[in-house]
Amino acid sequence: MSLSAIIVMTASIIALWGVATVALSYSLRQEERKLALIQSQGDFEPLSPRAQRDLETWLARHPEEEPAREVRELIELQQQAMQHNPQRFYDWSTIDEARQ
Amino acid sequence: MTTTISREQWGSRFGYLMAVVGAMVGAGNIWRMPYVTGENGGGAFLIAYFLLLYLIAVPGLMGETSLGRHTRQGLLGTFRKLYGNNRFVGLGLVILIFNIVLMSYYSSIVGWSIYYAFHALIGTFTQTEFDTAVLWQNFSGNTALNVGMHSIAMLMVTGILLLGIKGGIERLAKWMMPILTIALIAIAIRGLTLPGAMAGLEFSFSPNWEYLARGETWLAALGQALFSTGLGWGIALTYGSYLGRNDDIPLGGGIFTAIGNTSFGLLAIFAVFPIVFAFGISPTSGAELAFVALASAFGSMTGGYLWALLFFMGFFFANLTTAIAITEVGVTTYREEKSTGRSKAVLTICGIIWLLGIPSAMNADILGYLDFVVGNWGLPLATFIIMIAIGWKFDASRLRVLSLNRGADLYIPKLWEPIVRFQIPAIMLGIMAYFLYSNLSQTPWKTVSGLALLTLLIPLCMWIMSRRRDTSYATTPSGGQPS
Repeated sequence: MSLSAIIVMTASIIALWGVATVALSYSLRQEERKLALIQSQGDFEPLSPRAQRDLETWLARHPEEEPAREVRELIELQQQAMQHNPQRFYDWSTIDEARQ
Repeated sequence: MTTTISREQWGSRFGYLMAVVGAMVGAGNIWRMPYVTGENGGGAFLIAYFLLLYLIAVPGLMGETSLGRHTRQGLLGTFRKLYGNNRFVGLGLVILIFNIVLMSYYSSIVGWSIYYAFHALIGTFTQTEFDTAVLWQNFSGNTALNVGMHSIAMLMVTGILLLGIKGGIERLAKWMMPILTIALIAIAIRGLTLPGAMAGLEFSFSPNWEYLARGETWLAALGQALFSTGLGWGIALTYGSYLGRNDDIPLGGGIFTAIGNTSFGLLAIFAVFPIVFAFGISPTSGAELAFVALASAFGSMTGGYLWALLFFMGFFFANLTTAIAITEVGVTTYREEKSTGRSKAVLTICGIIWLLGIPSAMNADILGYLDFVVGNWGLPLATFIIMIAIGWKFDASRLRVLSLNRGADLYIPKLWEPIVRFQIPAIMLGIMAYFLYSNLSQTPWKTVSGLALLTLLIPLCMWIMSRRRDTSYATTPSGGQPS
């Protein structure tokens, strides 16, 4: 086999099998964490810090529109989870540090 | 308001991921991907393919899955929630019809793979002086046998779907996908030890960079990226509708689905092409590669019985999991529309597909014609309709903040929105225009009649749904709340 073919083959293996394996194992690990949180405290926060910020920005831009109601419900759900749950699913360390 | 009947959910993350990858891995991965790669510049094609996979298939699948998870409805229910109860729900019916037509002829392909898996099991290919070309010709020319295999395929699909999402689809995929992986790996290892096998890998991977400047390479990559991942057919939407509210979508429903599916294509390159080149078989794609050339090669190999059995069982598993997913789109939708039990929905939809599939089983020209129409225009049109619904009607921005990033293992930034709004629909229009341009001179009758069928189908479906609105449902406002 030529060197260029070997390089392409190796790159394809990493880009496909490598990424698929990492994605599968990471996804399954995260699911285990979610299940552990549900078992220990009932639920977990549905949004990451960045996702929460996006949701709040969206609501600020579209406060009167009909879909705003479901956005408000999700923000409320997030706030309740943040208040009641001692353990977090997402990494909030930088946000907490900034607040302190 | 549209009601959401009690819904099953996937039993486990692994089960969902195997089911959705199983849905996308089909005949195209095994008999098309290796050939298309080698024919279009090898490594150059793979680079074009990876780019398009990440630019189109991954974001598109994320959007389709998250829309399904948000509405928790099948095709028509989702369109009703987006557009209200009016004629535009007919656009969902158009996609549903494409799915049913697609499955009507895909079941024949499943039937072929059952027939060959059976022959592999009884050791036909390892008989002395056995001619696989004769077997294929006899099988192709036997109408009753083809209808019989189509019927067996539909019976299998029916039986599995009757067991439900968790007990049927998920349980099956959790077993079949790992077995398919192991089977292909085993064949690849065997193939790579054959003398001359490296020429197959050279054919597939050797980069011919000038191909990157050719439009045909990009179109071939686009076709493979789109049709192999099943984007826009309603499968990701339907499977997504059975996800939990806080289940991840971007990593599992987007990246893993697209990359995992393509990983099987890569595995097929390793499994198929070393054998093809080791035995001096002409590298081609389609049924002839699997059912004539490879079957013959397995018969000549040491331990051929095992390799033939592994290959044809794996091929059958890949086709069956795809067939189940395509049919489930209709089953979920019918169940919701008629507010009926799963068993009745499964029997009705599978019965309709079985009946519609008989002409394709009897006549390969009908199968070819339907594949031509659905593949060239039906599926790109379905993808276009779904992406417009996501990007513009529901609003990509709203879907991203409300559903896509909820419970996500991977944060999706704002960049995703213009991809779904502009890029994918524009590419779909482009691909349909190209297919029209390239086919009109070569096959004018097929092209014009196919386009005429599609052109009539859209207003007809919209008319049907506008007639239904006053009888079954009250109006739901655009983007109605999920139940």
